[in-house]
Amino acid sequence: MSNNQECRLSKYAFIFEDLTAEEIMTKHVSTLTADKKISQAKELMKIKKISGIPIVDDKNLLIGIISIEDIIKALEMGKIEEDIENIMTKNVVSLNKDETLPTIVQKFDKFKFGRFPVVDKNGTLCGILTKVDILHKILDKFNLLYLHDKKRDSILNKELSLITGEKLYREDAEFRHRIDTSDISKAGEGAAILKNFLIKKGINQDIARKVGIAVYEAETNVVIHSKGEGEILCFLKKDKIIVRVIDNGVGIENLDQAMKEGFSTAPDYIREMGFGAGMGIPNMKRFADKLVILSEKNTGTQVELVFFL
Amino acid sequence: MKVKEILTILKGELIIGKDKLNEEVNLIGAADMMSDVLALSKPGMLILTGNTSAQAVRTAIVTDLMGLIFVRGKEIPPETINMAKGSNLIIIKTNNYMYSACGKLYTAGLRGIDE
Repeated sequence: MSNNQECRLSKYAFIFEDLTAEEIMTKHVSTLTADKKISQAKELMKIKKISGIPIVDDKNLLIGIISIEDIIKALEMGKIEEDIENIMTKNVVSLNKDETLPTIVQKFDKFKFGRFPVVDKNGTLCGILTKVDILHKILDKFNLLYLHDKKRDSILNKELSLITGEKLYREDAEFRHRIDTSDISKAGEGAAILKNFLIKKGINQDIARKVGIAVYEAETNVVIHSKGEGEILCFLKKDKIIVRVIDNGVGIENLDQAMKEGFSTAPDYIREMGFGAGMGIPNMKRFADKLVILSEKNTGTQVELVFFL
Repeated sequence: MKVKEILTILKGELIIGKDKLNEEVNLIGAADMMSDVLALSKPGMLILTGNTSAQAVRTAIVTDLMGLIFVRGKEIPPETINMAKGSNLIIIKTNNYMYSACGKLYTAGLRGIDE
């Protein structure tokens, strides 16, 4: 990876500074013990298409690492049938599983290695982390811009757009709708009224439909899951529509799971009404141009949707 | 295919939409999951469903469907019909089960949006 890309990585490292090595790493890692032959390491790299293998003892403690460069060296010196012990790097630079993204990126910059083994505090191997793992995790996170616990407190309940930073005062909303969470059959009512409202305001049918669908899902989630009170606010801007669906309920337990198509915690009676297919958040993502979900356990959930006109 | 032809094929009962019998049906599909309708339907689509809850009608309104065909001859709750009355939807009811209803319309030449 070029220097230029590393610069960009460190930029994201700041945005996602709470991501830990454990969350980023690949958990299923191929390992070998030091008494195996170097040629076996070469075969394993070929089969698994990997460029480095952590070496562990019989208790899975990390004791070394062998890379493609080591294999080339062994080939050149005719040592390919010797034990891995003789050629592996013994002073392995590893990551602790609790290390966070900024220090991980620093280590990549400093040591120029392609991969780092990840260990727990006892030195037991728990995974391996490459730059590709970092990119994948960051891309995952961009599906859902996510703010970690320390920042949440200061942002939740602020009247600023989570996406654009614009001031969005509740009383300035062109549309406000209390979500009736006591009656499941009313789920979607606010979305339908909002869609009508937008058409009356002269918003094009396609966009009104997109807003209606995304807000329908957000509203249904509030009714089904929040166990609290909720509200839909809509702000009409010159170039976009911003909708906030907020509740003071139980929050989303696991955002990553909630983002996955097909994952649902909805009870059977909800499924009988045609919901709970685990499409809620994926559908919001599909129809909104931008989506931010902010959730804190037992404090509530805020969904902000932006639709460009 | 026109709405009235669909009624004939399914031996259907027109609940709402007498003024639309001669409208052309170009997009058709079937779903019981309203999330699937929200995700995959196209504006102007006619959808066969076994879901007779008011949510089905509300979903149809939000997604700009042409209308709904309720299968299996299920009793349609009054709140479902009331909600549809205030909309522009066509509501049809047939005694055919989902599979047969879809099969008959497919055989008559109506293809899905994925084909």
